Amino acid sequence: MSAAPDPVRSSVWQIVEYNAHAARAFWQSILIVGVLTPLLYVLALGVGLGAVVDSHSHALHVKYLVFVAPAFLTAAALQIAAAEASYPVMAGFKWQRTYHGMAATSLTTRQISDGQLLWVGLRLLVNSAIYLAIMACFGGTERWAVLLAVPAATLTGLAFAAPVMAVAATASSEGQVFNVLFRFVVTPMFLFSGTFYPVSRLPEWGRWLAYISPLWHGTELARGAGIGGIGAIAVLGHVLYLVALLILGIGLARWRFRARLQR
Amino acid sequence: MPTADTDLAWSAEHPGEPLISARRLTKHFGAFTAVDTIDFDVRRGEAFGFLGPNGAGKSSTMRMIGCVAPITSGTLRILGMDPATQGPKIRARLGVVPQQDTLDTELTVRENLYIYGRYFGLPRAALGPKVDELLEFAQLTDRANAKVEPLSGGMKRRLTIARSLVNDPEILLLDEPTTGLDPQARHVLWDRLYRLKQNGVTLVLTTHYMDEAEQLCDRLVVMDGGRIVAEGSPRSLIVEHSTREVAELRFAPGQNSEAARQLAGVLTGARERVEQLPDRVLLYVADGEHALSRSHEIGLSPISSLVRRSTLEDVFLRLTGRSLVD
Repeated sequence: MSAAPDPVRSSVWQIVEYNAHAARAFWQSILIVGVLTPLLYVLALGVGLGAVVDSHSHALHVKYLVFVAPAFLTAAALQIAAAEASYPVMAGFKWQRTYHGMAATSLTTRQISDGQLLWVGLRLLVNSAIYLAIMACFGGTERWAVLLAVPAATLTGLAFAAPVMAVAATASSEGQVFNVLFRFVVTPMFLFSGTFYPVSRLPEWGRWLAYISPLWHGTELARGAGIGGIGAIAVLGHVLYLVALLILGIGLARWRFRARLQR
Repeated sequence: MPTADTDLAWSAEHPGEPLISARRLTKHFGAFTAVDTIDFDVRRGEAFGFLGPNGAGKSSTMRMIGCVAPITSGTLRILGMDPATQGPKIRARLGVVPQQDTLDTELTVRENLYIYGRYFGLPRAALGPKVDELLEFAQLTDRANAKVEPLSGGMKRRLTIARSLVNDPEILLLDEPTTGLDPQARHVLWDRLYRLKQNGVTLVLTTHYMDEAEQLCDRLVVMDGGRIVAEGSPRSLIVEHSTREVAELRFAPGQNSEAARQLAGVLTGARERVEQLPDRVLLYVADGEHALSRSHEIGLSPISSLVRRSTLEDVFLRLTGRSLVD
């Protein structure tokens, strides 16, 4: 076969382009949620609760808002990641069947899976940047290094989104599995990953819960960026944990996408 | 107008070779055998059909040709390539109209076409005019900026066909293209498919409608239980497996089997036969009117009767002992 037919020009970016097209229909709501969520958290817990905490304790050495805001930013990324990787992905297989349409083109199942994750990553990047801007408006930032909280939060979200996508590609029911995911994984992670207080205040078992949670690793990184006091070894450890989870998740998602679209 | 002459490189090098060639093609799902050692060839420019009831293995065969289902055993070559290793390259030159719509209901009609073209990596600039042309072809120009959801079934189907043509495919795969459509919408769709064929696009379709197979297919295979039970043109299949005419007689409930027994006596030729269905008796004969008057002569009085030409439905009944549409 010497005369090569048309080169295949499909790529992951076409999946991003599709998602951007689909998001255009409700970009206002994406933006409003993207702005309102940080506004509510920063005002209620950071400024409100922060006033109480700051007047009673000096244990944190910084304003409570500065302590808590990078953690909120990371937790928000995790929640967006869970939302984007669950129902929309399942719909692409089950209700809208858009992935089946894509799989009939020159796109590979791996490009579809990777492209969907790439889209989630871009959304996380934008949302985290908005979050940071709002933190800055209310005095939640003290140093330039806090900018690094944005990639930290994005990495955290991606590391969680990838395995969730694998679950979404496997789910065949009406998505009850996601109720379990949100109630028994996402919410406890938010409460036990050192978002509101250092995990050193937790009993032994609680600390171990935190150590396996990607949100704790992401929170340590983002908080380290915001207030400092984190060593190079610790940074490396957290990043490695998240990257390992991400690589595992990408593998699982590719496998499940293929199993669903090529059978 | 979509044409298939954009990429003739492979065919030019391999004149006369089939575009699709299957040998002992088999597909298992666990212990279930969906497609069982079938052989077939599809030649350039023809309309090739898989006719059979639901569950015959038609869709599984189509999915293997569409390179979205790995084959279990046998060989399958599409445009000279192996789907196992060159799936994306093959799919780049196929158009697929799946049984279940995969249109994006969040996008407009135009966006659906545009985005689908982008999946193939087609350049944005080229897609603008292409999309306009496809909208025209699908008679959806005035709906270009409407959302997909409120469109009628026929319109959605036409949009799916238009979308499948965005990459100027050499082979168009249509899985049950008109199932669920009303008669008028079906005729509009057949007209569009006929035009594509005129433009040289090779059509491969599945159907369980004999009239669709007769209208569209140059050649078809009859499938049943994962196997091919007959192959040929609609005309030759009818000539080979059925008689020229069919007399249908309906008797009072409970009298069909007795009538069928008596009717065996009116048969003349060697190929003539009686077929008893739950609600009527069929006489496969050369001359239907003659058989009807003979049945009156032997004292039978059906509630109603009619004489018609043999169809693929009769071929299927003959080959499998069952009806196509239950």
